[in-house]
Amino acid sequence: MKERLFFPPVYMFIVTTVYGGVLIGLGTWANPRIEANRQFAFERAVLASHGLDQGSTAQLHQRFLDRFKEVEQTGFGTVYVLQEDGQTTGYAVPFEGRGFWAPIRGVIGFEPDRRTVTGLGFYEQSETPGLGAEIVKPYFRNAFDGKVIQSNGRPLRLVPAGQSTADNEVHAITGATQTSTRLEDILNDAIRRWQAQDAPETAP
Amino acid sequence: MNGTSKTSRAILLDGLWHDNPVFRQILGICSTLAVTNQVLNTTVMCVSLTLVTAASCLTVSLLRHWTPRNIRMMVQTLIIASYVIVVDILLKAYWPEMSRNLGPYVGLIITNCIIMGRCEAFAGSNRPLPSLLDGLACGLGYSLVLLVIAVPRELMGMGTILGYPVPYFVDIWDPWVIMVMPPGAFFTLACVIWLARGLQARKEST
Repeated sequence: MKERLFFPPVYMFIVTTVYGGVLIGLGTWANPRIEANRQFAFERAVLASHGLDQGSTAQLHQRFLDRFKEVEQTGFGTVYVLQEDGQTTGYAVPFEGRGFWAPIRGVIGFEPDRRTVTGLGFYEQSETPGLGAEIVKPYFRNAFDGKVIQSNGRPLRLVPAGQSTADNEVHAITGATQTSTRLEDILNDAIRRWQAQDAPETAP
Repeated sequence: MNGTSKTSRAILLDGLWHDNPVFRQILGICSTLAVTNQVLNTTVMCVSLTLVTAASCLTVSLLRHWTPRNIRMMVQTLIIASYVIVVDILLKAYWPEMSRNLGPYVGLIITNCIIMGRCEAFAGSNRPLPSLLDGLACGLGYSLVLLVIAVPRELMGMGTILGYPVPYFVDIWDPWVIMVMPPGAFFTLACVIWLARGLQARKEST
């Protein structure tokens, strides 16, 4: 065992350099891929808000580029307009806010009438697995299809399971009250702010 | 206990049962409680931890003749952290959904006491191959306990295993929300430790 004075720092320096170098190399190599994953998660959420999220990664990416047009709305932010042959066939509105543990970020889809919901997609959430995280499951997201938002009061409501649902009501997740109420607030906040704006310009 | 002449079989058995990191040494409890409400998440966590522990023990053992004693903890932390970052990057790049599910817990493998405990207690004074084996055994011992906790938690909390509903069971079972929540982990862990130690005690007394 070498116990000279200068040896420990030199040794530490060498070990750190070797491991640091390896990690920097690996990070640089993996970064584009990680970035692409993040972007793809968002694109898939946009597609899911219109029920278009079936297919391979490449297909979904292409579909996102083909069908959705990014529109900047002053006073709200970026909204994605679904187009077919130059006609607007729907909107995808991003939303975000505080969840139970960490931010919830997702996209809600609307028909051209801007009132009928077409679906919901999430691209970031850290809710409790098996409980709050059930919001990403199709059974919960599909429940939003065809719901019509209300003009007065809360646009959308999450009501306890078992209760019958009105036109703007969806069953909340049993046991995940915090996630459900927060999600309801996040959605309604985004919907209200978006409704306050005019329909986005969709000149092709 | 740290004899250099331990056989591979003894090392494996110790890590898995006699000296199990979770229910004998009570190490690594934090992640035991945090990621055990879904079997799939738990499995990935176990594989990650086992790989990191084995690789760290091997490296520490390889460097043991050159590492000055007074900075050995620093070196161990650096080695462990590096392997954890490797696992984290690989998960983010190739399994982003799982990386999101596990959230901060992959990064927190660094602070898992099992790894440093084994590096200190075994790898620092043993040859590389037994150290690798010891790391693997302890990782597997940890995995065993985690899975034993995760299966009943997911089953009773959601009526599923690996996300698939268990036939017949889901029809008669009303999910216990508490099993999915953090307290469920405490109850289950306590039962597992009780059972395991009860079994061990019975064996010792006969």
